[in-house]
Amino acid sequence: MKLLNRKKPEPKLPDYITENVSEELIRLEDLVKIYDTGALKVLGLKRINLTIHRGEFVAIMGQSGSGKSTLMNILGCLDRPSMGHYYLDGVDVAAMNPDELSLIRNRKIGFVFQSFNLISRTSALKNVELPMTYARKGKRFREQRARILLERVGLGKRAEHMPNELSGGQRQRVAIARALANEPPLLLADEPTGNLDTAASVEIMELFSQLHKEGTTVVVVTHEEEIAAFTERIIRFRDGEIVSDSSNVRKEPESCGTGSETEKQEATNATETEEQGWESAGEPREYEADRNMKEREKLC
Amino acid sequence: MLIENMKMAFSAIRANKMRSFLTMLGIIIGIGSVISIVSIGDTMRSMFEGLYREIGVTQAFLYIGYWVDDVRQSDYFTLDEMERIKEVFGDEIAYIDSNSYVSADAICGRTTVKFSFNGIDYNYQEVQPVDMVYGRYLNEGDVLGRRKNVVMDTISAMNLFGVENAVGKSFRTTLYGTTEEYTVVGIYQKKLNPFQAMMMGANTEGGEAFIPYTILTWPNDYFYALRFFARDEATMDELYNRIKGYVAKSKDRKPEDFRFNSAKDEMGQMDSMMGGLAMAVGGIAAISLLVGGIGIMNIMLVSVTERTREIGIRKSLGARTRDIMIQFLTESAILSACGGIVGILLGGGLVMAGGALLGVQAIVKPGVVILAVGFSAMVGIFFGMYPASKAAKKDPIEALRYE
Repeated sequence: MKLLNRKKPEPKLPDYITENVSEELIRLEDLVKIYDTGALKVLGLKRINLTIHRGEFVAIMGQSGSGKSTLMNILGCLDRPSMGHYYLDGVDVAAMNPDELSLIRNRKIGFVFQSFNLISRTSALKNVELPMTYARKGKRFREQRARILLERVGLGKRAEHMPNELSGGQRQRVAIARALANEPPLLLADEPTGNLDTAASVEIMELFSQLHKEGTTVVVVTHEEEIAAFTERIIRFRDGEIVSDSSNVRKEPESCGTGSETEKQEATNATETEEQGWESAGEPREYEADRNMKEREKLC
Repeated sequence: MLIENMKMAFSAIRANKMRSFLTMLGIIIGIGSVISIVSIGDTMRSMFEGLYREIGVTQAFLYIGYWVDDVRQSDYFTLDEMERIKEVFGDEIAYIDSNSYVSADAICGRTTVKFSFNGIDYNYQEVQPVDMVYGRYLNEGDVLGRRKNVVMDTISAMNLFGVENAVGKSFRTTLYGTTEEYTVVGIYQKKLNPFQAMMMGANTEGGEAFIPYTILTWPNDYFYALRFFARDEATMDELYNRIKGYVAKSKDRKPEDFRFNSAKDEMGQMDSMMGGLAMAVGGIAAISLLVGGIGIMNIMLVSVTERTREIGIRKSLGARTRDIMIQFLTESAILSACGGIVGILLGGGLVMAGGALLGVQAIVKPGVVILAVGFSAMVGIFFGMYPASKAAKKDPIEALRYE
């Protein structure tokens, strides 16, 4: 056991990870995403140009199908653009291969998802350790840092708990701690409060504000105005295009306690628009494309 | 990282105990049967070796080949010839006799027992030691003087006389048409393990006795075979070849016309026969391992599909293709190796228990055990390859969306 645990030298990282601290954390140049479903090509993003500086707190807004999730996937290096350039921290990641993108995700991006996406049957501590495990950090380092991070999100006493023993808000805080594990310059949150009640939502957004104040760049994708209100810059999307990009004066937290009525309203609106707006691309799914094709056949 | 992967694998296996166990079952049965067969083979081999040690590994019989068509009387042996061979080869031969056996009824009072008489020279005890418990062994005087003295074992004595110590008692028997009185001069104790008793035939009713060979073989007799014991095991093959050459020459035959049948050869035949048997059953066991491996592949495919979302999460956190691949390979290898270990315990335990029941020392070689664990892990890796690569190739976005 001792032999296996011996300290290994950390693997040498490529330059695009170690160097380049660019003032422009994100720069998108003529970014296009086309979904090729075989029968027809759907334009997901139409020539996006966008710059996000280090230390900004940005909300990307838009209804379902507006292309904000597509953008989110590309910003998160989960997907590659069809055309154009995406400079993350000064490096063009548009043409990287999947393993290079894995490395980028590991070191440069912290994800927070709507459905928390913690690994089940694995303690909060182990969940937070995971990105560090993939970064080949030592066991002791991982555990120490994971405990510090859990302390920071207020879950120091819940380190050994399993995800199913935690409330939604607590789970999301574990996810945030996990996102911060490798000190990534960019924190990407996709509807981070979508599965939370109002109180927990406020808590989580407060945490993001706090992290932003400490210097992390935070990008939140949301369709809720109350959530966007926490940020300093709001970018609105519609039909795969940016329709507005404005700075936002941060509202006081109290103003957000308007109740869940509005939230529900928003949610139903969102589903409705999804039903209607499938033709305008955005997030095409298999069945949408099929339906589209069948309709066309009917018309012919 | 390896330890992390192993921990993850164990927790995944624990999460689905029943399923994991059923998956392992194929490997358990496969490895269990391989281990038992190999161990039974090894045990049998060592027992046969013991048996041949008992018989004497240097023992051999020389006779005219069964393939020779025109057998003449001169192809058989006479005592004169035997004496000549003894003189020529001298000390290299530890023992030589005319290999004479006769079966006859021994009668003592109203008791009649079927006896087999083995004609021996007085120095037979040097090559086939026995534990004398009463009286003495046959001596030179018995042999040269054709005295009607015999030595038998305790069981035969019990059968014939009803007592173990039958020294001085006599019985009547008819050898080659002549009925005579024979006297017991010595009793020895047979020590056979259950396996030997089984192989040699436990003698519960009949009797065996050593008798001077000079009573069974007379100077003008022709007999079929010569029985030798070589002095040195290492050079026995060479010695027997020389004897064969000498005998063939004296009989105006080619050496190939004579056959030397040694215990060592027989041992080799037995070995190769058992090897063949082990191969055949091993093949069947290999098929069960194959089936077990396919079971593992099947369950890993299910597991990969079930954990699609987990794979997506891991990828989003920076797991590379290789990381996911290794994670699932570790899981299938551990699943399979666990099955292997249980199989070894089961197979080894079964053989040990069987051995204890039969009263023989069962042999389970550590090398075989290590090989079996290694092989089962290999099966796991081989059959885990496809599911693992399927997992590793998943698109992170699709995987994250999976419900």
